[in-house]
Amino acid sequence: MARAVRTASQLDTGLLVACGVLAVVALVMPRWMQNSVSTAIRRTVLAPFVHMQQKAEVMRTTIVTRDSVQQRKADSLGLTLDAPQLAHENDQLRHLIGLGARLQHGFVAAEVLRTGTLDHEFTLTVSQGSNAGVELFTPIVTADGLVGKVVSVDPTFSTAISWAHPDFAVSAMSVDGAAFGIVKPHLGTGAQRWLLELNGVPFRAPLKIGTEIVSSGLGGTYSRGIPIGTVIGELQTTEKWVRTYMLKPAVLPNTPGPVLLMIPSRSAKDVNGVWMNIASSDSAARAIVMSGDSMAKKAALAEIAARRAVDSVTVDSLRGDSLARLGLPRDTPPPQPDTIKKLLHADTTKRPKPDSVAGKPKPPTGPPPPSEEGVMESSWL
Amino acid sequence: MAVRSQPSALATHAQAIVGFALLLLAQYTVRPLIGGRAPIDFLAIAVLFSAVRLRPGAAALLGFAVGLTIDALQPDSFGAATLAFTLVGYGASWLKAVFFADHIALTGLFVFVGKWVYDGVYNFAGPRLGGVDLVVQLLLWTPLAAALTALVAVLLLTVFRPLYRPYTK
Repeated sequence: MARAVRTASQLDTGLLVACGVLAVVALVMPRWMQNSVSTAIRRTVLAPFVHMQQKAEVMRTTIVTRDSVQQRKADSLGLTLDAPQLAHENDQLRHLIGLGARLQHGFVAAEVLRTGTLDHEFTLTVSQGSNAGVELFTPIVTADGLVGKVVSVDPTFSTAISWAHPDFAVSAMSVDGAAFGIVKPHLGTGAQRWLLELNGVPFRAPLKIGTEIVSSGLGGTYSRGIPIGTVIGELQTTEKWVRTYMLKPAVLPNTPGPVLLMIPSRSAKDVNGVWMNIASSDSAARAIVMSGDSMAKKAALAEIAARRAVDSVTVDSLRGDSLARLGLPRDTPPPQPDTIKKLLHADTTKRPKPDSVAGKPKPPTGPPPPSEEGVMESSWL
Repeated sequence: MAVRSQPSALATHAQAIVGFALLLLAQYTVRPLIGGRAPIDFLAIAVLFSAVRLRPGAAALLGFAVGLTIDALQPDSFGAATLAFTLVGYGASWLKAVFFADHIALTGLFVFVGKWVYDGVYNFAGPRLGGVDLVVQLLLWTPLAAALTALVAVLLLTVFRPLYRPYTK
């Protein structure tokens, strides 16, 4: 019994020593050998465990990063939702800066703090008041056109009505000044509530669809030339001596964004040309066409002048040839026309006709000589 | 020492194998999910629980095999875990009569010490740490990991009592 115990103990010790030695050998063996052994173990015995471990780690990473992924998704969604709004706001600001540069003076930049609420649907609150020079009835504009006017002024903010307010009215005209009238909100229902009417247009002054309507400057509140809307159709009314037109507003009142308040010193002056309107585009197009025409005219005049010059050169050369044929030296002073006439008349059978000398030469029947090609081509035209 | 009557040898071996397999599975599935700087070492629990059922030589062999699997996944310290688990397995089997009574607290202490020794040998033998880092590892993270491992071992011994209850020969 004691021997068996001793043998078992020796076996245990032997196994411990053997395992210990192998472990130390594993510790000190070259790196490439360590890699070979570990790779072999990983690819055989440990392969399923390694696979499970990888899956578990992926799962843990998924769990750990879930919150941040969700947060990023929410952020990106927010950015996606905000991007068009930001782009629109940037666009508005850019236009407004351009408008301010064109107005040069007499305006106050402001932010629309609050658009109309449910009970005050057509009112606005803007971020500038009497401290900035805002007064009652100060027009509010954007780069697109007229928004409304101030109806209440506090030191730091103002309350305004938009063009959709039932009390809003502005004297207006077509952009070419052919027709005048009063623009008021169209008090219709549904989407038509957000349209404007141009009333009182003389019957003899019809407007085409697409005609731009601007403020006329009459009354003194609004400067002349602020875009109000565009004609989209004529309304049939009982008043047969005047016309009424429906307008699409230049600015939607619920999305004005940053605005400019034209203080009274500016409102008294015209703002024609400040807004880039259709008429100016048309006039620009016409100017371009006219410019093209004048250039063509100038080119035609230059061509005529060149043709005359060529003709005179031809006459001179023919004169020289004629003198030679007549036996006169080239340095002879130019003879008088009657002398030439006499000489030519004396030898009409061999000489060109007088009209071919003084007038337009005959077109040649064959190709022009190479040396005089340019001159001949221009002279044939 | 309160040790229960021994069931049949086949049942004992089956229970031991199943218990070991479950801990092996937990090492590669549960442990990566938990993560952390002081991870639970299910393989240490498996080696320690198995060592008390085996003779010291066999326990050393088991520790050697388990350590080799760990080293296969950490080639930069190849052989360190093999050496550590060989020593821990042999020592656990040799000390089983002292420590591994059917007592929860002693079992926890047994696992705690076993895990600490393993980490100590592993960190000394392996070329990964040195200086202050080694001290911090041995005095801070290793005790924490050992404590967590011991806690889990106690829980396992409580919950899966038929699988992990010691049966000494």
